[in-house]
Amino acid sequence: MIRSVSGNRERKGVVLKLLLATLVVCLTIGVSVSAEVENSVCADCHTELSEIFHNSVHGIAFSGDMNLEKASCESCHGSAVDHANEGDPALIINPANQDQFGAKELCLSCHKDHSFDDWAFSSHNAADVTCADCHQVHGQAGVETKSTTELCYDCHGDVRAAMHLPSAHPVSEGKMSCQSCHDPHGGTTKFSLEADSRELCFTCHAGKEGPFAFEHAPVNEDCMICHSPHGSVVDNLLIQSEPTLCLNCHPMHFHTAGIADEATDFVIPGHPDRTLNSSADSFKTGMLTKCTQCHTMVHGTDNPSQEISNGGQGLTR
Amino acid sequence: MKQLTIYVTAVLIALLLIPALVIAEDGAAKQRDLSIWLGGHTTEFTDYSKKVGEYDKGEDEVMPEFMLNYFMKNGNRMMSLNGHFYDDENIDARYKLTIGNKFKAKIDFGSLVAQKGRDILENIGAKKGPKMLSHELLDEDADYKTKRTDIEGDYQLLLSKTNNIRLLAAHRSTIETGHEQKISTGHCANCHLVARDLEIDRQTHTVEAGIAGEAGKFDLAYLFGFRTFKSDADDAMNHYDLARHPTKTDANGDYVVSAGEFGPRLVYDDSTLPYGVYPETEKMSHKLKVKGDVGKGRFAGAISISQAKNKKTNLTTDVVSGAANYAVLLNPKTRLITKLNMSQVQADDAVIDLPTFREGTSAGPQIDFDYTFYSSLDRMKAGLTAEVIRKVNPKLTASLKAGYSMVDRDDYPVVEDGTKTSQLFGQLKLRYRKGLKYSSNIKYRFESISDPFVSARGLFEARARDDMTYTIPGFPFYFYHEREAYRYQDIITLPTQSHDIEWSSNWRPNSKVGINLGLKAGFDKNSDLDSLDVKQSSLQPSLSINYSPTSKISLTTGVSYTQYDSRGPVTVALFDG
Repeated sequence: MIRSVSGNRERKGVVLKLLLATLVVCLTIGVSVSAEVENSVCADCHTELSEIFHNSVHGIAFSGDMNLEKASCESCHGSAVDHANEGDPALIINPANQDQFGAKELCLSCHKDHSFDDWAFSSHNAADVTCADCHQVHGQAGVETKSTTELCYDCHGDVRAAMHLPSAHPVSEGKMSCQSCHDPHGGTTKFSLEADSRELCFTCHAGKEGPFAFEHAPVNEDCMICHSPHGSVVDNLLIQSEPTLCLNCHPMHFHTAGIADEATDFVIPGHPDRTLNSSADSFKTGMLTKCTQCHTMVHGTDNPSQEISNGGQGLTR
Repeated sequence: MKQLTIYVTAVLIALLLIPALVIAEDGAAKQRDLSIWLGGHTTEFTDYSKKVGEYDKGEDEVMPEFMLNYFMKNGNRMMSLNGHFYDDENIDARYKLTIGNKFKAKIDFGSLVAQKGRDILENIGAKKGPKMLSHELLDEDADYKTKRTDIEGDYQLLLSKTNNIRLLAAHRSTIETGHEQKISTGHCANCHLVARDLEIDRQTHTVEAGIAGEAGKFDLAYLFGFRTFKSDADDAMNHYDLARHPTKTDANGDYVVSAGEFGPRLVYDDSTLPYGVYPETEKMSHKLKVKGDVGKGRFAGAISISQAKNKKTNLTTDVVSGAANYAVLLNPKTRLITKLNMSQVQADDAVIDLPTFREGTSAGPQIDFDYTFYSSLDRMKAGLTAEVIRKVNPKLTASLKAGYSMVDRDDYPVVEDGTKTSQLFGQLKLRYRKGLKYSSNIKYRFESISDPFVSARGLFEARARDDMTYTIPGFPFYFYHEREAYRYQDIITLPTQSHDIEWSSNWRPNSKVGINLGLKAGFDKNSDLDSLDVKQSSLQPSLSINYSPTSKISLTTGVSYTQYDSRGPVTVALFDG
């Protein structure tokens, strides 16, 4: 049973923890909490909260048949006797102000859904992010304090910037959210991803997984070697533009060093109606503009490229 | 199939709506909320719209827009339906049904259009003597875009309150339609690129089913997953010309066909063949999860096996992985989190049967290039991290994290002589928080990586190796394929040392205003190369201000700056071919 919070400042921390622990135990073993102070008494002062509370997720849950019908304000805030008598905020538990060893345990005593199974290992948990940092317990509009993506951006400002670069996943358009890839309550994988990064990407881009007869090794290694998932100034979320990206690992074609004929027109063999113009740097621009114009199958293919001497590994077909 | 998917989903929604309708008709519903929003939008691009608006087609007239939100509750039964119609290719809907703890269902529908630009290949046009680089556009009027439609469902049914036994099911279907540019490359007398407009019709279907329950103090769950991917669009076809060696020009300077020597250097020529073909794959997985309290802490572990199969080539990849995590309160102010994961990947190796090089010709040596393509996927991976979190005082939390991970590749970059990449990292993080009013984090992370991933067909660092003695018997020259065998395979641009520092601060002066300030900086380098340094640095300050006068209105403004510098080697043209 929850007892009153002592007004003694020196003992307050210890008492608060004891009360909180007691509350957790009571809720965990399913004991209904009898209110020492009726909700209506709380509503006398907290008018705005009480008006919106019944439409909040908690308000809806408390009013229904979900074994919480006897829950009260004190279910989360502990005994309100002293607080109600003296009006001092220090005399009542405010879960929002509790540290990671308190508030989250309080919430999880009811929220036993398996979505929160990994919370103990979550990087958010380790970073001392509490439930109230993201969730609006009394809120009317929803559980989160604001839209999920905007909420994440609050602490991850660099991601907000990346998501507004020319090439990005459709998060700003509302077609995806941070939670499409990350589990804010999870944590057994790096960056709290829903799965290992390569596996996660193939969830939506299954055609890139293979297995292929002719592989491109970085695809098997880590998609992030070439792609920046949050956004890029380069098309297709590439970390660098072509050909620089490719030239980090691959040598240029020898043609690149060749100087083309002086500016002349020439006809494509077999296409006498098509005339192209060649200049001194034509081979350079042709070979050093975009590697994937020819090497179109950079994620792998089952069809060999044309040259025997490179073993059909050119990823051009 | 895609029509079937849509119909099946529609039927599922209809079936799920029945109980909701029942509770709506019995007159006992305690709460119903319906909101309908009507509006419009117009977008005008002054730049190339597909560049600045990949996901927004842009309309020069006002387009109607529509939103619907419906919520209904009766006792422990709740149903909600949310829909948003932006245009006929951008529609989102979500249906949720909860019947106490007995049944939960969530169905999401979403569609979007991703617009892609058209490569006009204008940079392709070069001639040096008889060697040419030319192109042909067969798609000048094409409008390239992909419409992606996702239908996703997630269901949970409580079978027994005893041991909390639940049936789990989920499905997801992704249907991609539209048009894409497919470029083929023919290399014969010249290098010739042909661009075509081709239809997209790709489908990915995933189903998951499982059962979860409690056994003593442990939660157990088993999940089976099956995913398929295929394309129903017609294959792109290209005619690869008869290969000719362009060594002669006539009196006018135009090239004439020489003796037919070039063909025997190619895998195929004088043929019409498919290109840019999508694989047809399927993937099956089994996962077992165990969670529960062990000792004074919390344990979570998982074991999974999966197999991915390419149905066109019968190549398979098998993965076995496991993870174990344990979190414990060492004392009331100190928490320890440890994570361990291991996985092993085994992939089939492909036998590549190629025509004999220069077969049937008298000039030069004839070489058999048949080989086995050893997959670079064969590997063992493992990782271990430990983090200690200490509550220094009620407002300050400190955490220290360290870890080790390794990837041991069997056959990459050299067959039966793979590489082992090891990574050690350390991280220190401090968090100050004063209730919900103010919080601030600072984090420093250091990584040391030995033998990072390297390209097997890697860079030259020096001009050539002195010990290049490999020659084809009886033939005095070096061929490019011979030189490739002598490339240095340890030249990389990935870092061996990495330093990152992050700081963010969040201030909420009142419940309606939030101000965030952040700074992120990084420095990576690799000084292990013989003569080159790789350096990368980044700096990202950011500021954002949020004002929410009501729960329905939120105004956010922010500014972020990103500076990224990279210095690394790129190769020059070095070898003849």
